Amino acid sequence: MAASLSTPKLSSPTLQTLCKKCKFPTNPFSSFSHYNKPNHFGSFISFSHPRTRSYCRRFTTRADSTNVAEPPRKYDFDLFTIGAGSGGVRASRFAANFGASVAVCELPFATVSSDSTGGVGGTCVLRGCVPKKLLVYASKYSHDFEESCGFGWNYAAEPEHDWSTLIANKNAEIQRLTGIYKNTLKNAGVALIEGRGKIVDPHTVDVDGKIYSAKNILISVGGRPFIPDIPGSEYAIDSDAALDLPSKPRKIAIVGGGYIAVEFAGIFNGLKSDVHVFIRQKKVLRGFDEEIRDFVGEQMLLRGIEFRTEESPQAIIKSSDGSLSLKTNKGTIDGFSHIMFATGRKPNTKNLGLETVGVKLTENGAIEVDEYSQTSVPSIWAVGDVTDRINLTPVALMEGGALAKTLFANKPTKPEYSAVPSAVFSQPPIAQVGLTEEQAIKEYGDVDVYTANFRPLKATLSGLPDRIFMKLIVCAKTNKVIGLHMCGEDSPEIIQGFAVAVKAGLTKADFDATVGIHPTAAEELVTMRTPTRKIRRTPSEGKTDSEIKSTAGV
Amino acid sequence: MARKMLIDGELDKPSEEDTHFDFDLFVIGAGSGGVRASRFSAQYGAKVGICELPFHPISTEVVGGVGGTCVLRGCVPKKILVYGASFGSELEDARSYGWELNERIDFNWKKLLHKKTEEIVRLNGIYKRLLANAGVKLFEGQGKVVGPNEVELIQLDGTKISYSAKHILIATGSRAQRPAIQGQELAITSDEALSLEELPKRAIVLGGGYIAVEFASIWRGMGATVDLFFRKELPLRGFDDEVRAVVARNLEGRGVNVHPRTTLTELVKTEDGIKVRTDHGEELLADVVLFATGRAPNTKRLNLEAVGVELDKNGAVKVDDYSRTNIPTIWAIGDVTDRMNLTPVALMEGTCFAKTVFGGQPSKPDYSSVPCAVFCIPPLSVVGLSEEKAIEQANGDVLVFTSTFNPMKNTISGRQEKTVMKLVVDGETDKVLGASMCGPDAAEIMQGIAVALKCGATKAQFDSTVGIHPSAAEEFVTMRSVTRRIAAGKPKTNL
Repeated sequence: MAASLSTPKLSSPTLQTLCKKCKFPTNPFSSFSHYNKPNHFGSFISFSHPRTRSYCRRFTTRADSTNVAEPPRKYDFDLFTIGAGSGGVRASRFAANFGASVAVCELPFATVSSDSTGGVGGTCVLRGCVPKKLLVYASKYSHDFEESCGFGWNYAAEPEHDWSTLIANKNAEIQRLTGIYKNTLKNAGVALIEGRGKIVDPHTVDVDGKIYSAKNILISVGGRPFIPDIPGSEYAIDSDAALDLPSKPRKIAIVGGGYIAVEFAGIFNGLKSDVHVFIRQKKVLRGFDEEIRDFVGEQMLLRGIEFRTEESPQAIIKSSDGSLSLKTNKGTIDGFSHIMFATGRKPNTKNLGLETVGVKLTENGAIEVDEYSQTSVPSIWAVGDVTDRINLTPVALMEGGALAKTLFANKPTKPEYSAVPSAVFSQPPIAQVGLTEEQAIKEYGDVDVYTANFRPLKATLSGLPDRIFMKLIVCAKTNKVIGLHMCGEDSPEIIQGFAVAVKAGLTKADFDATVGIHPTAAEELVTMRTPTRKIRRTPSEGKTDSEIKSTAGV
Repeated sequence: MARKMLIDGELDKPSEEDTHFDFDLFVIGAGSGGVRASRFSAQYGAKVGICELPFHPISTEVVGGVGGTCVLRGCVPKKILVYGASFGSELEDARSYGWELNERIDFNWKKLLHKKTEEIVRLNGIYKRLLANAGVKLFEGQGKVVGPNEVELIQLDGTKISYSAKHILIATGSRAQRPAIQGQELAITSDEALSLEELPKRAIVLGGGYIAVEFASIWRGMGATVDLFFRKELPLRGFDDEVRAVVARNLEGRGVNVHPRTTLTELVKTEDGIKVRTDHGEELLADVVLFATGRAPNTKRLNLEAVGVELDKNGAVKVDDYSRTNIPTIWAIGDVTDRMNLTPVALMEGTCFAKTVFGGQPSKPDYSSVPCAVFCIPPLSVVGLSEEKAIEQANGDVLVFTSTFNPMKNTISGRQEKTVMKLVVDGETDKVLGASMCGPDAAEIMQGIAVALKCGATKAQFDSTVGIHPSAAEEFVTMRSVTRRIAAGKPKTNL
């Protein structure tokens, strides 16, 4: 640690360019005035990892030789973060903990985001993960009621749901959380500035007319739902609005087959709306394991959701009675109270001044960054959904944490994107880690696939058609578990621990050696004895054996 | 025919190959361990016979049933009742989520009981079919060991048949015990508790083990008044102290009257129910008194003494690492050996037995990092060492990471019940030595953690795993700062 603290100042633009070229992050220590507070380092037990230390040392030597004369420029802040969502808050707090002086700006709070509204906490807390999950909890009760009948519970009258109670309670909770986030920033010593941040030059941010200079600027402004421009699209709602509707949809069309679409389909179906999902493809959740896609589609269908596949929206028509019709390539369906588009999200990169300073964007409008989250302008960095890497809260947290380490702990850290687990809170939910079967075959050729498709104990009593599907994908050569997929009750909770195992590179034999917890659903994942299929590349052609592959979808 | 056994050269004398036996293996007891051992042995080519007592939900010396404790009067029916009871609190919570429910929601115990019985009868049938499909011959009746290679079967009509077997496996499990308290005949055990005609309005549970806290949760969830008595300061001796305290708090939070350091001295039948007296001089009335005070191995009527099979002082069959008794042809697995009394452990022992004796691969069951769960409401689950055990065993410092939080579901329901999670880490090697959790889904969450622990995962590996958001489980991979460090050699800190 002593070595890293003696790192010389480093602010020469030439050096920064050099560092950029060499894939080294720039070192911001020039105005890093509080770095010798030992308590700030207390929580990072892996701080003196030997490999990183030697890496830092090399870096230090390089800096020594090139940058002696340049006088340090004075900045208002070591780090100025634009956007106080998951990534921005994490990066700011950790940076401050490392001793940096940090400011973060964020738009005023609103449940629905726009160019002028947002709120501390960002998408996850205000209009993503958290409110979504609260609505999932609420909507799942109808399924619980049905189940409970099989366990001896009786309802004199069918339970009715009051939407306004739910939304009021949801809003109280996200208000509470935005307060907590503000406190977290405050306690970390981060200055919170309300307003719209815009980059003026590589070291200057304008927040509604006030100018701040910063050694480093972090863009963590996230993404926003995107509605395609079709006639009548002004009548459509997005997920922001869907989480804060004044009344519950009577009959809703959900356009899209991604995770947001299936999650909201589950929510509104559980709350007894009539739900129709329109998807362009044959199945939901492109990119997920094919068997999972089939399975979750079937289960959702059994719970009463209607799917219209290979249908693309062309127009929305509002009729005189106020109801909406959706015109697609296959016809027109009338009588919707709401039409929701869950057709993707776009990075919030407009009107940030990025073009002026020359921050490069991808063709989707995302900020281009290197492995250390550095943009094409060396003093400007970006994390989270605005970079469109893996758009998940915990990934933004990882990126934010890594950035703070890179910039202010003298420990260049790359976020690690392998074996990142994720969940879809559809009903039933999905969780996965590692590769899909399709990806695994492509990458490894020879894989063993273990599957289980069973009726859980709860369903045998409730009499409901609920099932659980599980899948382990094992590399035939190394015996490593390279993919794990599950759809069914508690999947997201179950998969987290297995993600540790997959991330650690454990083998199928390791899974088998683990004793089950009885009776649980999760124990099935350690008791899969016989492969459902073995997929082998035919040695001559280097391709997958077609005969075996043909059984893959079964 | 069975392959040669490799474990112990001396046993496989060439002359023995010529001896003719009715069976290669005869198993007494068709519970989890016995069924697993029989099936796997048969798959290795052995000729297997198994005997089991006739089916009855409540076990005695003369009734039992294929499936054993787990399926008929343990894990499965218990979990069904836990599911049933959990709905009670779910329904309360639903109101804050906007659901309009009647003031009184009816719970029909008889219906649940009926469906539970249906389910265990169905499973009993499945187990029988599993045996038949594996080619295992099932006999109904009481099995007795009459010689190192001889089993006597008393059939239902009272007739006796003898079978010779190259190997005999004892897998007769265990049964609930009653303490010698005056009026003990008025109390019930877990067997009867799973089959009560009426749901008690007032229930008293004696015991601090997992069965006691599970039934306290079940009856409370169904609306009964429950009083739980145990001898220690906290329930669940042997588990992590901090988590034990959380369980006690949660039981109280859900309305169970918890009486630590208290035992019962007398049960008297009265017109208003069973009058119970405690050693503190209190008197309570109850409809049902459950003794959950431990289980004893079923070794009494097996004639083991006659053939010289050694038992320990608790009556459990003594076995070596390969589950072999002191009589080389007689083996024992599962609860009757009182090693680690869990279904999956009996399965492991059964599998290892079959591999050892008929698979040509001597295999010892591995008891390290065996996870387990207690299905109180909310449940508790653990794998590896408790903080106390870790401090006792570790050479270096022990790092403890804890997280106590309000689960997201409670933020709206207003339920005052914290989830607690704990990782115990070896300060020197960074290995995670133990994980504990009490909170919703704990048992499901712990299974994957158990895989990681079993393979010696380090805290750094936990930390490098990205969380699944929003879940409770993600807390296990986001515990960044040490709650406390216990220096090597220091006496245990009192929590």
